[in-house]
Amino acid sequence: MVEFLVHVAIMACLYGLLSLSLNLQVGFAGLVNFGQVILFGCGTYGAAIAFSHQLGPVAGIALGIVFAVIVAAAFARLGRNLGADYWGIATLAVAEVLRILANNEAWLAGGAQGVGGIPLLFGDMPRPMGPLMTLGLCVALLLAAWWLCQRLTTSRYGLALKLMREEPQLAASLGYDLAALKTQTLMVAAVLAAASGFVFAHYITFVGPDQLVSSETFLIWAMVIIGGSGNHLGAIVGAILMQFLFAFVPFVKDALGLPSEHVAAMRLTLVGGGLLAFLIWRTQGLIPEHVGGKQNG
Amino acid sequence: MVQFVVDVLIRAVDLALIAIGLSSVYSLIRFPNVALVQYATTGALLALGLQMAGLPLVVAAIVACALVGIIAVVLNVVVFERLLRAGSAIAMIGSLALSMVFSAIFLVTAGPRPKRFELEINPPLRFLGARLTEHQLISVGISVLAIAVFALILFRTDLGRCMRATATNSVLASATGIDTRKVTNTVVFLSGVMAGLGGIGLSVKGEMSAQLGLDMLLPVFAAAIVGGLGNALGAAVGAVVIAAAETMVTNVNFGPLFGETVLFIPAAYATAASFLLLVVVLLIKPYGLFVAEVKRG
Repeated sequence: MVEFLVHVAIMACLYGLLSLSLNLQVGFAGLVNFGQVILFGCGTYGAAIAFSHQLGPVAGIALGIVFAVIVAAAFARLGRNLGADYWGIATLAVAEVLRILANNEAWLAGGAQGVGGIPLLFGDMPRPMGPLMTLGLCVALLLAAWWLCQRLTTSRYGLALKLMREEPQLAASLGYDLAALKTQTLMVAAVLAAASGFVFAHYITFVGPDQLVSSETFLIWAMVIIGGSGNHLGAIVGAILMQFLFAFVPFVKDALGLPSEHVAAMRLTLVGGGLLAFLIWRTQGLIPEHVGGKQNG
Repeated sequence: MVQFVVDVLIRAVDLALIAIGLSSVYSLIRFPNVALVQYATTGALLALGLQMAGLPLVVAAIVACALVGIIAVVLNVVVFERLLRAGSAIAMIGSLALSMVFSAIFLVTAGPRPKRFELEINPPLRFLGARLTEHQLISVGISVLAIAVFALILFRTDLGRCMRATATNSVLASATGIDTRKVTNTVVFLSGVMAGLGGIGLSVKGEMSAQLGLDMLLPVFAAAIVGGLGNALGAAVGAVVIAAAETMVTNVNFGPLFGETVLFIPAAYATAASFLLLVVVLLIKPYGLFVAEVKRG
């Protein structure tokens, strides 16, 4: 049971990173990114490609970050003159094209079969210590990312992002370069997501295109909206809450004696229904964004 | 060549039905409803259920389409009118959440396994050297008829005039005495009916699965965006373009271009082709091919 809880906690931290990353884009810069999962995929595929070419994990994280920055630049280029809804669909399309590519090109990290046997980060440690060390690393990463996001958004830069979100024309008239702001935000967010993907690959030890389906993106969206978009703590709380709720769905299924496809259905209802309920009744989420004054969320 | 045209047409009509619904609703309430593709699955599922209950397929299809239309109106009044007060991006995310709930319902009611309509199997007909089955012919005929009827409503009736007036300037339209809410709900009803018909058409020609709608998501959006979101008949042209791109990828031998006898692109790239087309169109003409100038709030 403890091992299971450690596993859920690790996954919660990794999703927390993704959620922070999406929150930076959606909650602060107002970028409706429906291709978030592919930024995560940049990290996993960086790890997988480095592993299958025996380049070592340092090359893996470097590759992951390079991929993520390239994809972020492409997203930003697409977004230069698109309305928010068009851009959302475009990012979804780019993410799907890349997933289909990864699924069909066997030379690229094994195609549909993916890459297995990626070494654990703390594999040489005895059993209870390894996962605990991984958990420690994930918590440290999450806290570091939180600190970074906090620094970024409480500075003048964060104000510029919010101004761009609320009044893009005013921001432009004050001399802010909106295209540059969007590009930078996307790149920072992409690096966070890629870091999560890299650790994920070395924790699950398997990387495949099935991990990059767009429903993952929507799950991260639900975490951000339910937690409270525009608030870093909210994004983290949303991720932890959703991840722990998800982990206990199979137990509920067993207790009620339902067939296994009901697990997927229950999770979809949790994500979709939760998201919808919050959008209708509590758009600001569990922990609302701080508006004005000194920020300490 | 004739076979190519026939294949494109078969694919295009159902895409067009859903995309026209998406586009015409967008023209009135300014947000792309992701859940519309799930209405297509709902239509197919209801028709399948009614057929299994003993109704003839034609009656089952008519009842199912009407039901989907009613569901669409109810959801519009209960969910989307509320979400739209918070903005179009919120409404779009809400429609995404709603489509997840739909997926959960499909999983529980229809199960994960694909289903088929009970149809007699006839040998394919020959038409100018092209093969097509009787069911395909009838289904394409009905879909083309439905599109024609919709075009007639749009351009030849009072309702159509009200629709176009509301789309162009909804404040002015309501000032001249048009009940814009009623017009919107009528169009939402029609979009639901068309989506349901599209879903039934798709499953008559192939099979019906819980994934049907989500698989159609990006092709439908690609068709609507290529045609210019908000431009109903542009969506029909967009559907033909997307269908042609998909068919080209799967059916055309690219060998002679590269000095080889046989060179086919893997069929899995058919969907990728339409997404790529979407991204390219958005890069070059951000608001689609048939919208010269749009003011977007």
